[in-house]
Amino acid sequence: MEPILKIEDLHKSFGRLEVLKGIDLTVNKGETIVLIGSSGSGKSTLLRCVNFLELPSQGCIYLKGILQGTEKSMKSGKTNRVYHESQLCKVRTQVGMVFQHFNLFPHMKVLENVMEGPKTVLRISQKEAEQRALQYLEKVGLADKSQSYPARLSGGQQQRVAIARALAMEPDIMLFDEATSALDPELVGEVLLAIKELRDEGMTMIIVTHEIGFAYSVADKILFLHHGKIHEAGTPDEVLVRPKEQRTKEFLAGHNQFQIPQHSE
Amino acid sequence: MYNWDFGIVFSNWNVLGIGLLNTIKLAALCLVTGLSLGLLVGIARYSKRKIFNWPASIFVEVFRNTPVLVQIMWFFFALPILLQTQINAFSAAFLGLTMNTIAFSSEIFRGGIQSIAPGQWEAGKALGMTYVQQMQRVILPQAISRMIPAFTNRGVELVKMTTLASVIAFGELLHQAKTISTIYFNPIETYTVVALIFFVLIYPGTLLVRKLEKRADQ
Repeated sequence: MEPILKIEDLHKSFGRLEVLKGIDLTVNKGETIVLIGSSGSGKSTLLRCVNFLELPSQGCIYLKGILQGTEKSMKSGKTNRVYHESQLCKVRTQVGMVFQHFNLFPHMKVLENVMEGPKTVLRISQKEAEQRALQYLEKVGLADKSQSYPARLSGGQQQRVAIARALAMEPDIMLFDEATSALDPELVGEVLLAIKELRDEGMTMIIVTHEIGFAYSVADKILFLHHGKIHEAGTPDEVLVRPKEQRTKEFLAGHNQFQIPQHSE
Repeated sequence: MYNWDFGIVFSNWNVLGIGLLNTIKLAALCLVTGLSLGLLVGIARYSKRKIFNWPASIFVEVFRNTPVLVQIMWFFFALPILLQTQINAFSAAFLGLTMNTIAFSSEIFRGGIQSIAPGQWEAGKALGMTYVQQMQRVILPQAISRMIPAFTNRGVELVKMTTLASVIAFGELLHQAKTISTIYFNPIETYTVVALIFFVLIYPGTLLVRKLEKRADQ
């Protein structure tokens, strides 16, 4: 079967700084991939390249088998890919994204936030968009907040609305960019649960997170990024429990520095 | 002791009335045109593309860094020679004040747009919105409500600046007053009344700005 997403030799530079140094990745339908790594390792950039919020400097991205962008030969004789805004708009409708800081539209009610994409971009009718929005708000357990403004909601609730907003586009793949990093610790759980539910329903996802326990429980595959490359990849057990690479071990040790002893009866 | 006599001013109320109407007409027309074109220039200035950005920036810098009075004089005395046509006082005043309003309001628009967090653009973009849709649906509705105090302020300033049109003999309030005072030699009464009229016209605007600013702070 055709993978939902295939990335080949992806490079991304900001000026002279090369953040991604050749990433290869295949994501099949229904798979959940979790990216971990220290800040600056390139995991967010990789995620942002998938929906072209950042344009790749080099490499190929296939979405549902379609190679994105068009080839253009450069003066230097090399070829490079160029991306036209109109194509990118279409691609982005198929890729849902949830941001660290939610980025809800503060001037719109919750329902309008979720309706906005289907209505403005997919151009479905007002009534249909409203039904669809309610359906996805229901899914994240916030249908009763549909008439509130985002500012009246807790961080966790706002993030769940943001998830509903992305889902309402009925995307082929969902991207989560540190979706719980901006939340109070006690609000993290509700958002992680919502994401886990999506996984159980078979949504294809790429998740960037610092929640290692969560990564372990939802991932089909874990990628540890280091210096813009996939340093180690495998199942949660392979990467998180029995890592082979020294750098991975150090990273995980940093995350597990303090542990509460298990209570024994 | 000066003998105040407002009788002459009041008996010439129609002369001042025409002036008041002209003042309001000029200010209103300049405000509406200036704000709408200011939005376009502001968006062009915000644009990353040089073909939009550069001309808009040059326009803004020219009109922001020259006195309005010079602009009005230029449109009245210089432009007709260049174009080989007549330009009446109203048109020259309208051009000068409107260009100035465009320049200043485009800066307000640009500042307002810039004040919106980049995440808002990205959220729109991630839904597949075009640049125009992001601007229309996400950015401007938020930016404009933040800009309302600044625009009201601009409106107040504009009403004051219309008096500059008196130097090219456009019959706005101040010019009409000058006519009365030259005929009757009563500058004290005439200009006092004119000042009062302006105060009544402008003060509500100032109060409104203060109220809007207070609300914006909350």
